[in-house]
Amino acid sequence: MIKKISWCKNCLNMSTRPRITFDGKGYCNACQWMEEKENMDWSSRGDELTSLLDKFKSTNGNFDCIVPVSGGKDGSYVAHQLKHKHGMNPLAITVKPALSLEIGDQNLTNFIQSGYNHIHISCNPLILDRLNKYGFIEKGFPYYGWMLAIMTAVIKTAANFKIPLIFYGEDGEVEYGGSTENKNNALYDVEYMKRVYLEGGHEKIFDRIRGDGDVSEADLAFFKFPTEDEISEVGLSFTHYSYFEAWDSYRNYIVAKDHCGLIEKDEGSHDTFTNFSQNDQALYALHAYLMYLKFGFGRATQDAGIEIRRGAMTRDQAINLVKMYDNSYPEELIETYLAYYQMTKNEFDAVLDKYANKDLFEKNDGVWQPKFDVAQEFSY
Amino acid sequence: MKVAIVDYGMGNIRSIVSALKYIDIQDIVVSANEQELKGADKIILPGVGSFAAAMKLIKNKNLDSILNEIVMHQKKPVLGICLGMQLLGSSSSEGDFNKGLGFVDGSVDIFNSDKIIIPHVGYNQVSIEKPLRLYRNMRDVLDFYFVHSYKMTSNSSIGQNLCQYDEDFIASFELENIAGTQFHPELSQMNGLNVMKNFVELF
Amino acid sequence: MLRQRIIFTLIYDSGFFSQSRNFRLQKVGDITWLEDNYKFQDIAFSLDELVVLNATRGNKNILKFTRMLNQLVGDVYIPIAAGGGIKSLNDAKLLFDNGADKVVINSALYKGQALVKEIVGHYGKQSVVASVDYKNNDVYINNGTEKIDMSLQEYIDYVESIGVGEIYLNSIEKDGTGFGYDIDTIKQVTGQVNTPLIIAGGAGNEHHLMKGANIKNVSAVATANLFNFMGDSLPNAREYMINNDCNLVKW
Repeated sequence: MIKKISWCKNCLNMSTRPRITFDGKGYCNACQWMEEKENMDWSSRGDELTSLLDKFKSTNGNFDCIVPVSGGKDGSYVAHQLKHKHGMNPLAITVKPALSLEIGDQNLTNFIQSGYNHIHISCNPLILDRLNKYGFIEKGFPYYGWMLAIMTAVIKTAANFKIPLIFYGEDGEVEYGGSTENKNNALYDVEYMKRVYLEGGHEKIFDRIRGDGDVSEADLAFFKFPTEDEISEVGLSFTHYSYFEAWDSYRNYIVAKDHCGLIEKDEGSHDTFTNFSQNDQALYALHAYLMYLKFGFGRATQDAGIEIRRGAMTRDQAINLVKMYDNSYPEELIETYLAYYQMTKNEFDAVLDKYANKDLFEKNDGVWQPKFDVAQEFSY
Repeated sequence: MKVAIVDYGMGNIRSIVSALKYIDIQDIVVSANEQELKGADKIILPGVGSFAAAMKLIKNKNLDSILNEIVMHQKKPVLGICLGMQLLGSSSSEGDFNKGLGFVDGSVDIFNSDKIIIPHVGYNQVSIEKPLRLYRNMRDVLDFYFVHSYKMTSNSSIGQNLCQYDEDFIASFELENIAGTQFHPELSQMNGLNVMKNFVELF
Repeated sequence: MLRQRIIFTLIYDSGFFSQSRNFRLQKVGDITWLEDNYKFQDIAFSLDELVVLNATRGNKNILKFTRMLNQLVGDVYIPIAAGGGIKSLNDAKLLFDNGADKVVINSALYKGQALVKEIVGHYGKQSVVASVDYKNNDVYINNGTEKIDMSLQEYIDYVESIGVGEIYLNSIEKDGTGFGYDIDTIKQVTGQVNTPLIIAGGAGNEHHLMKGANIKNVSAVATANLFNFMGDSLPNAREYMINNDCNLVKW
C-alpha cells in the first residue's frame, strides 16, 4: 500500500506529527487555531481569567498561584503578567534540568533578580539521570525524567504549599499542531498530562527503574503524580495561560527581554535560526533531533511555523531555513551526551537508529539522511 | 586593448575597473600621467563630487591640456561618467560659474523644480531616440543608476539621449569619439555593462 | 520615471554577518556562509542596492571591515553603501577605495558637522547617507545605545540642514521583528523630509516590503533580515512586488 507524507499548506507542519489534523484547505490544526485566534472574541476568555483569579487571589498575602519557569521567555511572560497585570502573588518554580546551559542559568538568575519569589527544585540527579536515560532508550525522549518532574515535582510543591492554581505557559498541543481536545477548556487534568504529554509511557519507565533493584519508592517521590484524593484535598487546578489570551511567543520574548532580563545567545544554534528560545538545557538539541528522525521535522520547522503564523515570514521563505537547519546531527554535543548517559557511541547511535523512521530516512556514511525533500509530497 | 582611467583624485575608480574586467578588458591603467594616458586606446573620465573641485584638480595636474590633445587632436575615444560627463561640457553653474573642458557644447545647472527631491538618486529610464553606438543591440527604454544634483543640457545636437526628472536632461551623449553618461554604467547591472562594452567596441 | 529601490542591508559584526533583532545581534555566518547562501552574482538582479554596516560593538576595526567589503563586492555591479564607525575623512576614503560608492554615517553626524561637511566637500553630497536610528520619537546613536536630546523631527531637520544625499531611517523597535515597517512614523517623516528616504526596520517578507514601497515619497525599502531572505526569497519578493504594480526596475 502506498503511503504519503505531506506538509501543511500554510506552515510546514508535517502529516507525520502525532495528533495532527488538516482541514479542507490543507491547513493543519495549528494554522486553523491561528485563524480562530485572530477572529475570536477574547474578551470572554479574559473574563474567565478574571473570575478564575478572583477565586484564587490571596487575601492575606500568601502565594496564590504557581508558575513553572525555566528562565526562558514563556514562563517569564506568564509570571510577569500574573504579577504586574493581574496583581496576583505568583511563586515561580524551576525544576533543574540535567546539563543546564550557562545562558539558561543566567536567564533564570536574571528572571529571579527582576523581582520574583522562586523555588529551585533539584530532583535527586542520580534518579533523574537514570530516568532520562531510560526515557531516551525506551521512548526516544532524552530528558523524560525531567519532562515528568516539571509536572510531578511542581504539583507536589503546589500541594505542600497549598497553592491550588498552577499556570503553565502554552498548551503545545493546541498551539503547535497536536491534540485539540483542550482547545476550549480552561482547566485540564493529570489524566491528560499522562496520556498526551507523556504519551502514556511513564509507568513503563518506572517499571524499568524499579527493575534495577536499587531504587525505592522513596527515591521516586518527586516523580510521582498525586492521587485523585490529594488533588481534590488541595483543590489543585491546572491551566494554560494560552487559554486566556492569544498566545504569541515572539511577544513573550519581547516582554521577557524588556522586563525580566532575558538574554539571547550571540550565535545561533546548529539546528535552528532563532537564538532566543530553548536555551536552558543541552538535551533539548537531542530531543529535537530525535523528533526529526521520528517524524521528519526538527526544531527549525517548529520555529518556522511560529514565524509563519505570526506573519513574519512566508512559507516559501521558511522552506529555505528548514532545508538549512533541520537535518542537524548534534555533532558538537555528542561527547557530552555519551558522558552523560554513560554510553558508547555505538550504543548511542543504536538508540537513534531505533527511532529513525526508515520510510523517511536512509543511512549514508553513518548519518541518517532524509529520502524526502522539504515540502515536496513524498510517497513510500 | 588598453583602457586608461583618468585618476585626478575624484571618482569611483574601483567599480569602473571591476566593470571593465567583467567585459574582458584586462589591460587597464589608472593614471594622471601624460605618457600613460596617451598610450591607451580608450580613455574613461570618472567623477564624483563637485565640478569646481574637479576642474581645479584637473588643471593642477595639467590634465586639461593633456586631455585636449588626446581627445580633440588625437581623436581617441573618451567616455565621461557622471561628473566626468559634465566636465566634458562647456560650463557649470555649480558653486560659482566654472568652465569645463569644453569638448562638447553642454552646460550644467542644478535641478530647478520644487516638485522633486534632490539629489536625483536611483534607477530612471533613458529613452533611446536613435540607434546609437552606446546602446547598440539594447532595448528602447532602459533603466540606469543615477545619483546627481546637477544636470547637463545642450542647445546643440551632440547625440544626446534624455532622461526625465520633472525636467528633461542629458542622460548620455555621443559625438564622434566623445561619449558621456550621466548615469553610472558600472552600477547599472547588465544595462550598464552593455553600454561600457559598446563604448569599448564601437568607439 | 524614477524607480523605487529594494535595498538589502548586511549587518557585519567582528568578521560575521548577523541577524539583528531590536539591535541585539546574532552571529549567523562568515563571508563563506554568505557566499553559499546569498550568491550575490546570482541574486544581484533582485536587488537594486547593497548596504553593508559595521555594527561591531566596541572597536570596529575598520581595516578588517574594509578587507571584507573588498572581497564581498568583487562581482557586484550595483551601488554599494558602506559605513559604521566612520570617524575621519580617512575612514571614508578607505571605504570608497575598497568598493563603497557611498558612505553611511550615524553617530558622527550628531557629534559634529565638520566630518560630514569634509566628506561632502571631497566626494559630493550624494556620496553620504545619513543613518538615523529611532525608537518612539527618540533618536539613538552608538549602535542604538545612547539616546540624544533631539526628537526625531528635530534630528531630521538638523541632518537636512547639514546636507546629505539620502536618509536611512531605521526603527529600533521593529528591527528584525518581522512585524513590518513602522508605517505611522514613516508617513510623518515623508511629509517632513526633502531628502531621498530609505526606510528600514521590520520587513520580514515581500508583503512588508510592498507595504513600505506603497508609502508615497519613499525612495527605497530596505531589509536586513538575513534569515528570511535567503535562497530565492529576494528574487521572489521582487517578482511579487513587480506583479503587484510596484515601480521597480524589471531586470
